[in-house]
Amino acid sequence: MHIAEGFLPAGHAAGWTIAAAPFVVHGARAVVKEVRENPESTLLLGAAGAFTFVLSAIKLPSVTGSSSHPTGTGPGAILFRPPVMALLGTVVLLFQALLLAHGGLTTLGANAFAFAVVGPWAGYGAYRLTRAAGGGLMPAVFAGVALADLATYVTTSLQLALAFPDAESGLAGALLKFLGVFAVTQIPLAVGEGLLGVLLFRVLTVNARPELERLGVLEPAPLVTTGGAA
Amino acid sequence: MTGLAVDDAAWASAWRRRAPGDKLLLCGGLVVTALVLPAWPGSALVGVVAVALAVGPARVPARTFLRATRWPAAFIVVGALTAVVEVGSGGPGWAPDAAARSGSLAGHALAGSAAVLLLATTTPMSDLLPALRRARVPDAVVEVASVVYRLLFVLLGSLHTIREAQTARMGYSSVRRSYRSSGALAAAVLTRSWDRARRMQEGLAGRGMETGLRVLPEVLPSSRAFLTGSVVALAAIVATSAVVA
Repeated sequence: MHIAEGFLPAGHAAGWTIAAAPFVVHGARAVVKEVRENPESTLLLGAAGAFTFVLSAIKLPSVTGSSSHPTGTGPGAILFRPPVMALLGTVVLLFQALLLAHGGLTTLGANAFAFAVVGPWAGYGAYRLTRAAGGGLMPAVFAGVALADLATYVTTSLQLALAFPDAESGLAGALLKFLGVFAVTQIPLAVGEGLLGVLLFRVLTVNARPELERLGVLEPAPLVTTGGAA
Repeated sequence: MTGLAVDDAAWASAWRRRAPGDKLLLCGGLVVTALVLPAWPGSALVGVVAVALAVGPARVPARTFLRATRWPAAFIVVGALTAVVEVGSGGPGWAPDAAARSGSLAGHALAGSAAVLLLATTTPMSDLLPALRRARVPDAVVEVASVVYRLLFVLLGSLHTIREAQTARMGYSSVRRSYRSSGALAAAVLTRSWDRARRMQEGLAGRGMETGLRVLPEVLPSSRAFLTGSVVALAAIVATSAVVA
């Protein structure tokens, strides 16, 4: 759910761009440092961005009978950390605006704040908290991916409520309105994306364990000493 | 054919050989004009000009242009209607000026979306990325964005192929199977993207690439007539809007 081009008043569009800028710049610095130290990271980071874009093209069955598309930032935040996702998410949003007509250019800052900053940080926070509380990898992945999606939707609703407060009930009433309207698709989508994340990581732990260990998602497997013939 | 209708239209557009800076000036001007002028007649004029330029001189297929506006239009309709519902003590109801406000909101958004789509359907992303470098975005960031652009078509191809195979094996015959297939699909695409990136890296390292993926950007000459026409069109929209308002 991205805010369409021209939907936000100019002042709000500029304000959200300023709010998102420090996170995106921080992400850009992290990427520049990573590429300077490891030039080969350019391709891996590009692959991560392309994966986030492509993940949004996977259709999930929806309770309304149609299908919905995941945001894709939750798995990215767990695998590549939120600062990197702030930049990659913004690049993906720019591509979605110019290749799919989803979102817009003046609303890029607002969408980046919800999709590339709040979503990944909330998702990563839920993932780390669940792991720290003793939850296993899969419950943590479900919490992280679902919350990243939910946080994006709540932030977008808040942005719309701030731009269009209700004449009688003010910001709170407007927030309830937007949350209620978009909840029909976004809450089932968040649960669905959480399940997709679990299924994704279940396959990855079998097929891509070395990559997950290198990214710090899994602890390196202990070396097993086999008793050789003396 | 890349598989993305907007990108295909951009490569086939009659404006493909025009300088990206020229098109950025025109479309950026239209986007700003749609946002800051009153919806009537300012945004309406922007919308008409953007659509007319796209399907006229830029020769973008009208069907592609219309299909691309479906998603933003759905959001705009739902958002504009929600914005004019009032939640009072007597329950929800329409605001007194609901029609005017929702019309204005939808007008700004549809015109702005048409202006962005004019840029998107006439300018491939590979022409726009060098402009980021000129805007002093760090080289590393532009290179990562370039790799995203190049890889996403490969991954979209993989996605469609794997999904076709899964569908043929009844992988989407129930909700449960759909989720399982979607999870396997996402994992397969991710591992393929890592594998592809690693093999590209090894190939480039073998050719001596150490500092980046520098390529010679295609230089497309700027047209003074196009720039003048753009400025005149924007000025005409502003002037007409001021007179009518």
